[in-house]
Amino acid sequence: VLPSPRSGQVRSHYVDWRMLRDVKRRKLAYEYADERLRINAIRKNTILPKELQEVADKEIAALPRDSCPVRIHNRCVLTSRPRGVRRRWRLSRIVFRHFADHAQMSGIQRAMW
Amino acid sequence: STSRVLSTEKNTSAASKDNTIEGASKSQQGTAETPKQKLLDIIGSMKVEVSYRKKLQQLKASEKKKQAVNQLNGPGSESPQRPTEDIQGGKLLNPDLVKAASAVASSLPLDKKQTESELLAQLRRHEETTDRQKKGEIINLRNVISEMTVKRQSPAQRGARISSRISLELDEDGQGIRPERFSSQSFVSRRYFFFFFVYRSLKVGKRLNIFTKASTEPEHAMKTVSSPTIWDLEFAKEIAAITAQPPRNGFEEMIQWTKEGILWEFPIDNEAGMEDDAEFHEHIFLEKHLEGFPKEGPIRHFMELVICGLSKNPYLSVKQKIEHIEWFEKYFEEKKEFLQEI
Repeated sequence: VLPSPRSGQVRSHYVDWRMLRDVKRRKLAYEYADERLRINAIRKNTILPKELQEVADKEIAALPRDSCPVRIHNRCVLTSRPRGVRRRWRLSRIVFRHFADHAQMSGIQRAMW
Repeated sequence: STSRVLSTEKNTSAASKDNTIEGASKSQQGTAETPKQKLLDIIGSMKVEVSYRKKLQQLKASEKKKQAVNQLNGPGSESPQRPTEDIQGGKLLNPDLVKAASAVASSLPLDKKQTESELLAQLRRHEETTDRQKKGEIINLRNVISEMTVKRQSPAQRGARISSRISLELDEDGQGIRPERFSSQSFVSRRYFFFFFVYRSLKVGKRLNIFTKASTEPEHAMKTVSSPTIWDLEFAKEIAAITAQPPRNGFEEMIQWTKEGILWEFPIDNEAGMEDDAEFHEHIFLEKHLEGFPKEGPIRHFMELVICGLSKNPYLSVKQKIEHIEWFEKYFEEKKEFLQEI
């Protein structure tokens, strides 16, 4: 097999464990999304009897903790920085600046007015 | 065309003499009663259509006959008496017919041998069609008449035409007429009798059994080893890896990405990946799925609201909506005892 002409970093691990945990949370949240939606639909209700809703409360609490989407945190994709992340590019401000200065961000230009 | 010639020959050989006499009488009356002018007028008024294939066959027949006749008669002699036996087809033509044909040929101011041979070919064809009609084959006359148009040929250009036609025969399937080519050539139809011919499909006539149907082998679904083995998979992967050369340029890279699914296909299809074959009424009228629920009570109320929301949802497929409702059904089934306590 001939080596590909592109030579770059080969990254076989996630940047750090926090990023890995975030990845796990995202996967679980995807799996349980439908169930959570339906149980919440029963809970947030004025029509169904309250007893039923209490049962639903207990059920949703029984689901794995990482399955709730609230625990997902948008970290930087390259450096796993938790803060200063621009959502559109999923990059932290430092990485973004680095790429923009090297003209590797499409449509990004230094602002001057 | 060879199968066609053979089949027609078989048909003609099987014809009885009554048919020939009938046909002979008809044609003889025609030639004897109508003088030359009348005949020519009729021919001129009629619009007859011939296909290239038929013409080629006639030409071949006429050429063969000419050669045979020349061999028989010797050089330079034009005897009006022709041998009654048809050399090519092996079919017996009525001597009166032959005499009439020779008379017509001599009367017309054109190449007599050629005209005679062609006339005889036409007669043969006529016999064939009458035979077929007698045998009970259905000929749709309407179709036949509607398909007839003028065909003319200038005598001087015949030699050139033959070669072109031989090459043209390869293009045609023997069924249709090429009006573009015909219009380019101009014919003179004076020498021909008008005749009918029937459009035939490719399956008419005796089968020659040259090509046998590919025997449908039973698919070898049952293999001794459960397919495919791990070694086979590895081998396939190896081959794929070796043959997959790295992209030489950006275009090939983009092609590769598109195949993998990384890059979208352009022009962008908004519904790419979405295959919703269901009609709108399946999305909106979801009440039929509410049969498992009690007809009154808060649950029914709740489910009707659920259905109302689902009917307005354009993002879910019908299957997903049905799954949604079924999940609720299951949930309330489990909670039934609990609910009855309340």
